[in-house]
Amino acid sequence: MKINKPSHRWQLKFEGEWPTSVAFLGDSRKLAAGNRGGEIFVWNLPEEPPAPQQDEKDEQEKTPPDHPPTRQLTGHDNGISRLVATSDGKTLVSSSLDRTVRLWDVNSAATGSTEVVLDAKDRQRRARYKGEDEKKKILEAPGVKVETVDSAAELTGHRGWVGSLGLSGDQKQLISGDVTSLVITWDLAARKEKSRWTGHPWNWAVATALSPDGATALVSEYTYKRDDFDIPAAGLKLWTTVDGKEKLDLLKLQFPNLDPKATSYGSAQAWRKFVKGGLIAADFSPDGKFMAVGQGGETDTGKVHLLDAASGELLRTVSGHRYGVCDVKFSGDGQYILSSGRDTTIRICQVSDGKEVATLGKERGGQYKDWIHALAISPDQKTVAGADIAGFVHVWQL
Amino acid sequence: MKCPNFEHVSRRALLKGTLATAAGGSLMNWGSLFNSQATAAEVNKNQKRCILLWMNGGVSQFETFDMKPGRPTGGLFRPISTNLPGTQVCELMPKIAQNMDKLTVIRSMRTSQVDHPGGIHLMHTGYSQAAGIRFPEIGAVIAKYLGRDGSDLPNFIKIFSHGNTGAGFLGPKFQPFALSPEGRLPTFSTSNLNPQIESRRNELRNFVEDVYARRHKAETARMHREAYEAARRLQNVHDVFKIDDEWNKYRDLYGDSAFGRRCLMARRLIEEGVPFVEVGQSSYDSHADNFVWHRALVPPMEHAWAGLMTDLEQRGLLEHTLVVWMGEIGRTPRVNNRSGRDHYVRSWSTALAGAGVKGGVVYGESDLDGIDVKDNPVTEGDFFATIYQALGIDPETEHYNGVRPIPIAPFGSDVVKDVLV
Repeated sequence: MKINKPSHRWQLKFEGEWPTSVAFLGDSRKLAAGNRGGEIFVWNLPEEPPAPQQDEKDEQEKTPPDHPPTRQLTGHDNGISRLVATSDGKTLVSSSLDRTVRLWDVNSAATGSTEVVLDAKDRQRRARYKGEDEKKKILEAPGVKVETVDSAAELTGHRGWVGSLGLSGDQKQLISGDVTSLVITWDLAARKEKSRWTGHPWNWAVATALSPDGATALVSEYTYKRDDFDIPAAGLKLWTTVDGKEKLDLLKLQFPNLDPKATSYGSAQAWRKFVKGGLIAADFSPDGKFMAVGQGGETDTGKVHLLDAASGELLRTVSGHRYGVCDVKFSGDGQYILSSGRDTTIRICQVSDGKEVATLGKERGGQYKDWIHALAISPDQKTVAGADIAGFVHVWQL
Repeated sequence: MKCPNFEHVSRRALLKGTLATAAGGSLMNWGSLFNSQATAAEVNKNQKRCILLWMNGGVSQFETFDMKPGRPTGGLFRPISTNLPGTQVCELMPKIAQNMDKLTVIRSMRTSQVDHPGGIHLMHTGYSQAAGIRFPEIGAVIAKYLGRDGSDLPNFIKIFSHGNTGAGFLGPKFQPFALSPEGRLPTFSTSNLNPQIESRRNELRNFVEDVYARRHKAETARMHREAYEAARRLQNVHDVFKIDDEWNKYRDLYGDSAFGRRCLMARRLIEEGVPFVEVGQSSYDSHADNFVWHRALVPPMEHAWAGLMTDLEQRGLLEHTLVVWMGEIGRTPRVNNRSGRDHYVRSWSTALAGAGVKGGVVYGESDLDGIDVKDNPVTEGDFFATIYQALGIDPETEHYNGVRPIPIAPFGSDVVKDVLV
């Protein structure tokens, strides 16, 4: 990955429910994004974007251009939590609060078409002070026509919201985790379950990642407290995927006196500083030597822990999002950690020394900021995308 | 019913005192009517009582009883069917869904205090805070009218206490007795002394206090002595608070949670004749991450709540015990940019079950997006009046703060008769 002078190339409107997830589909001009309403759209972007428009509120600012999606992937009936895609861009995988994981042949023939409105908020803003006729004209203007595509496969077996999803580096295995702490690994080609295991019965599997060869799984467990005096210990463990056996308890390594069965407020204080509002994002480096986990929730400063994958040793803590991390990814060359957060930014840090080398986006919102809920890196490592809860998918060229 | 001061003795109180004496067997003429333990137990069982399940911080109506699926305000959860045909609740409450025939749900609460301190006061007393008046909490009022004088157990118990108004102007006799969040007795209530030494100390203290009281006629001396007596009597019933053995048996029914243990403790106390027990669960103030907070908090709560009602019903206690479920506020229809819902009191939900109320009732309605009450608004005063009426206490009963009459439910409150049996 080479970072020159990042530029904000596209600002794709995806209003309505929060955009929560994003993935590139084979190259830097084709991407998919999902939202909290269960919708997934696919964009094919032109090679060169049109000129940015002058921002209406700020003379110094220019708004990157929008572009309509071409396809809608239909099937989920509750929020999309994560999207991952194979590097050839042919297969997209989505996890959802509807308790399923779905696979999509992105290039398969359309099954229908529909018209969608992705700028509802913008229409309301423009119509606010208009007369009745003009207001109606703005609000009821035609939307965007898109092809619809049904999912190629539905992977069932989860018992609750599926909140985490990962793909092995060899593209052969998937891992997904739900709010009952159930983790399932899947054979991607066969579209079948390979193994499953559970953690603490009260916890949720909030982040899952597979090693490049798919042999090892990194699983972060966490739950929001059941009340002040009822908090199970968070978990961060390595598991052997073939048999679902625990390999290394990373949190125990950090806190040798940790009792994973303790559920008192007092015991929670042992891991609170390290875990903050849950280690809700996880990734393996492409060479499998390092792991990164991000502190989520509404915390003062959400950081990313860089861990040695063999020993579990904490190497360093990098980045620092105001109010918590949402997503974490290593660059393809393993030189950088990219993290998105609740401060409307994506931060890029060097693995070697933790130094932050670039920030994409800037803080927006009131006292609390809008979140960049998820990030994606294009296969050619030249483009980064972010799902912004304000109703955008941003695309930056590095 | 007019009470010129809090020493007033009503017909009910007189009868209640008589029964308590009779059960003790010291007043033989009356005692002959109630001289068997079985009869006393029956009287005890039929006494109305109340358990308040307090959702501190303000549980969301959208994530419990008033879902708006498919609307912009609807959120991430999905509705499920209940055993009340045509009525749905949040998927987080599968056990309560199967107990809807026992509940009256009010979907049209409209109250007046939108912040926590004000809301906690309001929904514990029925009144907004006012300078110069310390209103009594509902537990103190119920302790006064349904409590037993001379009982070994306190008449007003809080487990994981919220709200700090206490007995207010009803006086220290009706102050709450607070257990820890784990249901443990406070340290002052346990004596490490040899019982003989303890007894001799009590005799000596009583002697000294008697002498003091005869000379000074001081009210505080009497209260002091009563408080000591209550603490001493508590020694007789320590076993009620030891729930480990029973918890092993009932863990599945109540669910393995701290709130479940508290609910089991509440049932034990109610069974022993305590007229009012408040059980708290914290952390509903979900300005951020509303959905994951409710995903964590509601399942153990609803499991325990359903288990409590089942347990009470199986013991024949539910028809005599009013179970009240509420927090101090509701939550906003709009989801903010922290994935949270803020405070809201224009339209929210509460629930009742058991003594004096119908089951299988959904009262009132909010509008399409849950922004306002569409039908049958219920104010805090109406809600408290309905609770008191269900328990057989006249909501117009007045106390006096100086010369000012203060009814136990605010002036102008209407009992929601449609939900009462």
